[in-house]
Amino acid sequence: MWGLGVLKGFGITIKNMFRPVITVQYPEQRLPIPERARWAVHAVFNEDGTPKCTACLICVKECPDHVLRVESSTRPEGGKHIDTYVYELGACMMCGLCVTACPYDAIEMSHEYELATRDHSDLTRMLLFDVDAASPRRTPREDAAPAPTGTEAADA
Amino acid sequence: MSDGHSWHSDVALEEGRPAYLPRGLKRVPRGVDELATEHLVLNMGPQHPSTHGVLHVLIELDGEEVISAEASLGYLHRGIEKLAESRRYHQVATLLDRADYVSGLHTETAFALATEKLAGIEVPWRASWLRSLAMELNRYASHLVWLGTFGMDAGAMAPFLYIMRDREMILDILEEWCGSRMMFNYVRPGGVFADIPAGLDAKIRAWLRVADSYLDDNDALLGGNEIFQARIRGTGLIDAATALAFGMTGGCLRASGVDYDLRRDVPYCAYGELDFEVPLGVNGDNLDRYTVRVGEMRQCLRLIRQLVDGVPEGDFTAKVPKVFRPPAGESYAAVESPRGELGIHIVSDGGLTPYRMRLRSPAYFNLAIVDEALAGGLVADAIVTLGSLDIVLGEIDR
Repeated sequence: MWGLGVLKGFGITIKNMFRPVITVQYPEQRLPIPERARWAVHAVFNEDGTPKCTACLICVKECPDHVLRVESSTRPEGGKHIDTYVYELGACMMCGLCVTACPYDAIEMSHEYELATRDHSDLTRMLLFDVDAASPRRTPREDAAPAPTGTEAADA
Repeated sequence: MSDGHSWHSDVALEEGRPAYLPRGLKRVPRGVDELATEHLVLNMGPQHPSTHGVLHVLIELDGEEVISAEASLGYLHRGIEKLAESRRYHQVATLLDRADYVSGLHTETAFALATEKLAGIEVPWRASWLRSLAMELNRYASHLVWLGTFGMDAGAMAPFLYIMRDREMILDILEEWCGSRMMFNYVRPGGVFADIPAGLDAKIRAWLRVADSYLDDNDALLGGNEIFQARIRGTGLIDAATALAFGMTGGCLRASGVDYDLRRDVPYCAYGELDFEVPLGVNGDNLDRYTVRVGEMRQCLRLIRQLVDGVPEGDFTAKVPKVFRPPAGESYAAVESPRGELGIHIVSDGGLTPYRMRLRSPAYFNLAIVDEALAGGLVADAIVTLGSLDIVLGEIDR
């Protein structure tokens, strides 16, 4: 009969009115974020407050959008000193390639997702500033890919 | 005195001059057809909500009838093919997510397959299986977007809202799995980025228990509605020969009755092991495209059931060096994306980055038919027909 489908559709609409609500009242209520969710990049620190970063620059070479910038110098007594580790949040697409590439777990994809700012300059973040870099002599992570060496690093 | 024709009521018409004639003329000059009408060229888009993105269609109208239509592209061009030439092989996936942003995993997988063919990498069976499972979930989500927006093109608002809610459940699963709702960056040359998280298969099974009834509801609400059926039956006809001549693939081609599905005809990933059917249309009108896609969604659920039950043991990725150079040469690999045959052609000169990467975008070829499909119909049908083609502008403009 013509029109039966329309009536059935009304029935489905009424059924949908009694389905549980899936929306949440956002600023007050928040949905949990999955463990793997990728948001702004954060630096990771040791328990004593020193950074895990060794200024090896693998993350800088790995980033497709060139949003990471590390400037380091050599300390007089040996070892590296990180002058600045700048992160351009506004240009980051949160692909996670830098975190995957880091052999020392020195950066992580955080769960910080409220990234709107009032000022454009807040989108340029200083992850590390004027700190001594960790010594790269400790054993790198087990599953980390070998760091590019020689000609390959020069090409990249 | 006004006779109801003049816009300015205080301007009296000259004695004896018909209202449609310019001032100074009392009769139609000899040799001029006084009833002749003009064609109107209508710019649909690029900010039109029914063009699904920034598509600009020039439509020539005679009254309500479409005489010809022409798609004008390039509003979303980001130079993805050129950018890929300066990205290393594992970095390209980030660009390809943004090519077809509704089903990113298919583009990623096509690129990974092409790279693996070029470099001769053997992919673990578990990785292929996980790719297929993720792709089918993504295909279902993509078809849901199409189903909702297609209904909205025809004026049905409520199904869109219900469908977006159902799609959110899949996006939650994919976020937990791949780390992002739509920009996955999950499939890498050699395998996948990470294994399926523990407990996610239970979540997929929980979704599968309700997915069928949700799809039945949405199908009854939209496709069961006689008004909607009357709108889409017999409009936007594309016959099989024309569809083939224009290089159409995917659901649009199968709706015209051509039995061609890459998943079955050129199996890749795990599809050779799976049992599914390929729904076919007869006439190639909008109703056929609707029924074929909804049929495909049912097959999709069937595939996801098989995939989630039979995840094999093994590694999720082959050992691929971070910095690797495939040998010089070229390769082509294609996957059946929700829109059709999505192919990636890579030319390598043996360097770190592709020398050239070409994306064969199915929606680009499907959109080329726009003149054939719209001409002769009405404006209202033109919008529905355009919606039935399931275009994604990110992939068309690249």
